Amino acid sequence: MTILEAGRSLRAGSATAVELSTAALARIERLDPSLRAFITLTADRALADARRTDAELAAGLDRGPLQGIPVAVKDLFAIAGVPNTAGSLVYRDRVAAGDCAVVERLVEAGAVMLGTLNMHELAYGITSANPHFGAVRNPWDPDRSPGGSSGGSGAAVAAGLVFAAMGSDTGGSIRIPASFCGTVGLKPTYGRVSRYGVLPLAHTLDHMGPLARTVRDAAVVLNAIAGFDARDPASSRRPAEDFIPAEGCGIRGLRIGLAESFFFERIEAGVESAVRGAMARAEALGARLLPVRVPDPAAINAVGQIILLSEAAAVLEPYRQRRELFGEDVLALLDQGSLVPATDYIQAQRIRRSMQRSFAKAWSEVDCLITPATAITAPRIGQATVTIGGSEEPVRPAATRMSRPFNVLGLPALSIPCGLDSSGLPIGLQIAGPPFEEARLLRVGAALEDSGIGLSAVSGQLSATPEQGDC
Amino acid sequence: MTDWKALAHAAGLAGDAQALERITQPLETIEAVFRPLTENLPPELEPACTFDPEEDAE
Repeated sequence: MTILEAGRSLRAGSATAVELSTAALARIERLDPSLRAFITLTADRALADARRTDAELAAGLDRGPLQGIPVAVKDLFAIAGVPNTAGSLVYRDRVAAGDCAVVERLVEAGAVMLGTLNMHELAYGITSANPHFGAVRNPWDPDRSPGGSSGGSGAAVAAGLVFAAMGSDTGGSIRIPASFCGTVGLKPTYGRVSRYGVLPLAHTLDHMGPLARTVRDAAVVLNAIAGFDARDPASSRRPAEDFIPAEGCGIRGLRIGLAESFFFERIEAGVESAVRGAMARAEALGARLLPVRVPDPAAINAVGQIILLSEAAAVLEPYRQRRELFGEDVLALLDQGSLVPATDYIQAQRIRRSMQRSFAKAWSEVDCLITPATAITAPRIGQATVTIGGSEEPVRPAATRMSRPFNVLGLPALSIPCGLDSSGLPIGLQIAGPPFEEARLLRVGAALEDSGIGLSAVSGQLSATPEQGDC
Repeated sequence: MTDWKALAHAAGLAGDAQALERITQPLETIEAVFRPLTENLPPELEPACTFDPEEDAE
């Protein structure tokens, strides 16, 4: 069931918000001990929210499609009175004094808040094998990583524990778990969604966005959370719009860019086949596929890594000497960041500006780009390297190199499922576009989804692990 | 190229060889791509410290 379908059931009186939340909580009780998707479950609050929603709807107060819908947020997002640990010991005693901007807007839209979700420690990694709260498991195969850093968000949506979840994305941390878990994940334009009240990793790279089961569900959440917030100095004053693609939306005449170099190099064969198949479907729907040259994404990634290492080291510098607080991988990254000279950080930010200008030229030739969301499907938990085309590389760059450029450039990027590999694991494709063109990306995603690209035809396979339920 | 091992030693980060490699090897990989990008930057190019994704193309 999707958010829009659940909303129709609530308004038709064939379901209540209390029933939706009760079903979600029962499912969490049954599945989460093995998935480890949640850090803090706010069951009492959820049921109270749900009862209030039922009363509001009975009284004719309609807050829109999120009203009464069970959701959860990554443990980076502040919910008043709830632990806000960022999956770390650094913030283990932190209890949020107030809601972050995103939670404020979700509450205003009537969403039912089920709690906070597990993640890679401090959002600084892509496995979600959290040393303090347990390794999140992928619902498609419990021996596999859900990706990260928003791994609990991906697992919770994929397993049907919630209808939608919030994640953060600094180098791919929404799109990677979306790809590995077979969900939709949207990283909006930098400035589109307020960062206020979300614990930072890297101030100029952090983006907030939804993971959901369908493109339209992701758009429903974006409708609720987008918009100017004076408390976030990077927040854009550009007005929010209705992001939900119309039923039967088309992409005839749309120019889809195909950046062959880099984005289709060193990727798993199953990933390439599925993404090219989706592109052929887009062409069959009337879109035009056009080759396009973009600035070297490998160079953009190097710039992004210098910025990330420096900014994250600065954020966590007060704690770095307390080395027992950190997992080994995060500590190594913080140590690396502490060695990067200020001149390199400034040079990276200067090159970033230059690349941003160069990349913008591509948007006069094409309306969006389609690439793989990740070069690989979900690796095994604890797997350190992957072999692609006979060449071995660490899992982290293999997972992030398709997604990181769009953090550096601040551009919107949407990951949608586009099939399964030979091991039955989800494959994600990425649609990226010009600044603040989320509606266009969602329209492309919805058109592909409507045409049968995605996992709807095979979602029954989830019954081998946590089956799809009422939520 | 930067001698990251020397920097790590100077910063007191040097543990055993494996720990040192864990810190310095990724920096060497990044620098191999990053350093050439820093050559010939025009002096008037401003950093994107106040980052605006909507800045117009040149």
